[in-house]
Amino acid sequence: MRRRQQPAAGGDLLAGTLDMLILRSLHSGPVHGLAIAQDIERRSDAVLLVEQGSLYPALYRLEARGWIGSFWGTSDRRRRVRFYRLTPKGKRQLTAESNRWEALARAVARVMRPETLS
Amino acid sequence: MSKRERERAEEMRTHIELYVEELVARGRTPEDARREARLAFGNPRAKLEEVEAMERLPFFDALWRDLKYAVRVLRRTPAFTATAIATLALVIGANTAVFSLAHAILLRPLPFPQPERLAMVEVEGRTPKGQGRWESHDGTTWEVMRDGATAIDVAVIAGGFGHDVNLVVGGKALAVGQARVGSGYFHVLGVAPAAGREFTRDDDRPGGPAVCVISYPLWQRVFSGDAGAIGQSLLLRGERYDVIGVMPKGFENPGEPADVWTPVRPSRTGEGGGTNFGIVARVRDGHTWQEAIAAMPALDSGFIKRVTGDDVPGFSGHFTLVPLQDTLVADVQQPIVMLGGAVFTVLLIACVNLAVLVLVRGGSRTKEIATRMALGGGRRDVLRQLMTESAVLGLAGGALGLAVGYVGLEGLKALGGATFDQWTHVTLDGQMLAFTMGLSLFTCLLFGLVPALQASRLDVQAALAEGGSRSVAGGSRPWLRRILVGAEVALGVVLLVVTALLIRAFVNLRSIDPGFDPAHVVTTSVSLQDARYKTAAQMNQLFDETVRRLEQTPGIESAAVSLELPYRRLLNMGFKFMDDPDDKGHIANVMYVTPDFFKTLRVPLLGGRAISTSDAVTAPPIVVVNQGFIKLASGGRDPIGRRVRISNAEREVVGVVGDVKVTSSGFFLTGMVKGPITSGPLIYLPAAQTPDGFMGIHIWFSPMWTVRTSSPAVAEAALQHAIGAVDPLLPIGRIQQMTDIQAAATSRQRLLMILVGVLGAAAVLLAAIGIHGLIAHSVQQRTREFGIRLALGATAGGTIREVAMSGVVIACSGAVVGVGLAVMAVRLVESLVSSDYLWGVTSRDPSTYLEVGAFLVVVAAVASLLPALRIFRLDPVETLRA
Repeated sequence: MRRRQQPAAGGDLLAGTLDMLILRSLHSGPVHGLAIAQDIERRSDAVLLVEQGSLYPALYRLEARGWIGSFWGTSDRRRRVRFYRLTPKGKRQLTAESNRWEALARAVARVMRPETLS
Repeated sequence: MSKRERERAEEMRTHIELYVEELVARGRTPEDARREARLAFGNPRAKLEEVEAMERLPFFDALWRDLKYAVRVLRRTPAFTATAIATLALVIGANTAVFSLAHAILLRPLPFPQPERLAMVEVEGRTPKGQGRWESHDGTTWEVMRDGATAIDVAVIAGGFGHDVNLVVGGKALAVGQARVGSGYFHVLGVAPAAGREFTRDDDRPGGPAVCVISYPLWQRVFSGDAGAIGQSLLLRGERYDVIGVMPKGFENPGEPADVWTPVRPSRTGEGGGTNFGIVARVRDGHTWQEAIAAMPALDSGFIKRVTGDDVPGFSGHFTLVPLQDTLVADVQQPIVMLGGAVFTVLLIACVNLAVLVLVRGGSRTKEIATRMALGGGRRDVLRQLMTESAVLGLAGGALGLAVGYVGLEGLKALGGATFDQWTHVTLDGQMLAFTMGLSLFTCLLFGLVPALQASRLDVQAALAEGGSRSVAGGSRPWLRRILVGAEVALGVVLLVVTALLIRAFVNLRSIDPGFDPAHVVTTSVSLQDARYKTAAQMNQLFDETVRRLEQTPGIESAAVSLELPYRRLLNMGFKFMDDPDDKGHIANVMYVTPDFFKTLRVPLLGGRAISTSDAVTAPPIVVVNQGFIKLASGGRDPIGRRVRISNAEREVVGVVGDVKVTSSGFFLTGMVKGPITSGPLIYLPAAQTPDGFMGIHIWFSPMWTVRTSSPAVAEAALQHAIGAVDPLLPIGRIQQMTDIQAAATSRQRLLMILVGVLGAAAVLLAAIGIHGLIAHSVQQRTREFGIRLALGATAGGTIREVAMSGVVIACSGAVVGVGLAVMAVRLVESLVSSDYLWGVTSRDPSTYLEVGAFLVVVAAVASLLPALRIFRLDPVETLRA
């Protein structure tokens, strides 16, 4: 991801998790490319700023693996846009990755836990 | 740019535009918005390239990875891999080698353009005695065909091909094949002369010019390929012909190989007065077979009355067209069918082998596949990888099969040996190779698909938890596998039984008593189709002089000349007994011989006397007959002293000699043996007492010189020297040993026996491989179980025996079923194939079946034991730890 005005707080740790974030975006329903980027920004309170173009290689890769599907539709401004949706396989993948992420996050938190000083 | 690329570019463009709209809606100016949007997005083209790179590599990457992985996996299970590749190599190699040979020798496809449009005109008819086909026509029929046929082009070919005809040109004397054909013959076949022209209607009329067309090999040999050959003349049978055309390289006369073609000059009289013509036809462009055949009966010109007179009431018939290919292969259809069945059986066995192997293997890879899928391999990826494995196997097997086929074919040719020069031109048939390889690849992929599909639908969690490789039995549905392997054994038994019967029949044929001593006898033939040998006196002078010179040569024990030889097709003629009150007509084989004939061939004299030098042309006419004559013609009566009327004279029977075997008498009497080697009533005429009218026979038969000698090289030189000294213009035909001629009489049977034998051996080998593979795999899978059992006190020997027994049991059940199938198969073969091939062999003789069955069980036992022996090397502690 690309820094815009300041280094994104996420930084390198989040470089490989773009796939998971995309899947999460699609969890509540089909969205088109721009909306995915904006959704991630919004949910992360502008901490995760996606270089919008990088979304597309990730989207195509996810589609090739069968985790998301796509179809043509019209946006709210009546333009022809491509929508992406989560497939059942993708839903399973999202669950698996999210579990792993949570486990990882808990483990890191435990390591970093300040020791209670007596 | 492809459609997909365009769509993606559009998608990205739209994305940017949407963002711009949004930014404008939030208050930016259009230029600021565009700038900001582009910054936020990045470079679309760069992204597209990134996508392209990302997508392009994985395909080849994946393929290469799959290949390497496939090879690694296959190497990990050497038993399976070796078995599968061996199966493929064997079936591809054996089938292709056998098919190539059979195709080249037996089928001999017609080398003409659109050969399926070529046909012979024949009469299909029935008499009160049965149905039949007649292929000879007279001159009137020919003219009607020529003038009236609209759907076909026709040309005449004269019956009576000239073998070993005397040709003299440029000081060289040769024996060539001569065919007499009508105008348009080459046009009908579809091949134009490479130089000069063919016969026109003008050449082909009675009294027309003496012209000829020669073959390419002859042109090279005699004229050294000189274009000036056209217009030169040569002497054929002592008569002059001018060369007007040369056929192109590679042109083959259908049926008999010809070097010279001369005009037939068909007319309604002379030759054309009788049925002496064959008519070859080509269906014209724009007409179909059906049309042409439908038009045939209308061309009837009352031929029935002309040909049969009124002698055969109840005869009815009509003209029809028979495909030329069929007329040429009529006598080989039987062996072709048998071979086809054998090839099919081997293919079936191989497919079963492959199926079992792949099915078995698929079941034991659950854990590995589950792991791959858990690591993120999509179902499609796993499928692709498994298919790659099957493809690698198929290709490796195919490559090895090519080598096996090549070696096999060379081996077959070596087996064929000196008897068959035609075999040396045979190469692996490309089509059959492609077919078998394609079929093997397809089978691999097909049977690889089943476990692949099964595997890719795995519940990953469950499979991982199960710990597949530690399971005890491994693989699903063991019964299916056992049945399949048993079926292989059964099929192997069937094929082997047929092979055994063919071998027995061949041995029977070979061990038939020839009736004379063929060892140390050398023969050659000389064509007397020459204007200088029109009288018997001229012929006998040649015979006497050459025989005298030969017998004076050191190393030559005796020499003789005869019209024909044993183990060949003999001339037959009608004769009558002078003392027969009914004056019945009889038929027998006839040949003239010089006095030393019986001595040279060592034909035993059984009564009376043999032919001697005192039986000159002025002496009382006599004949000598064979033993078969007594039984089959003389009605059991002692023939010595009886007089027969044959060839325009009354002759007294003065002696009886032993029977010699022949390939065909040309007729059949009850009491004669049916089959490729037989013996009929035979009348020997002294050569000196042959009448002049008999000389016409030399159109169809060339006299054979025979010498008994201690050294074949001496004999060859002596024959050439003796005949050449008496008449240097006579070309000497092929010099052969009598034993070669004897072998040639059973050449078809030998060929079939060898070919089917190869396939039978392949079938047994495949079945053995199948059993071996099955047991080996089972041992591999159950290693842990055996370790436990050995640790608990079982003996290695006992375990081995138990494991090997399972293979033997399968083989036994398969063999039993196989014997039953074999009985039916042999009966089918018997009905398809005449006594020519299953000679002297009864299908009901149980010993063959039992022997074959026992043999296969023994093979199976060995095949089961070998892999089981690995149990010896098992260390129980290690296997338990694994």
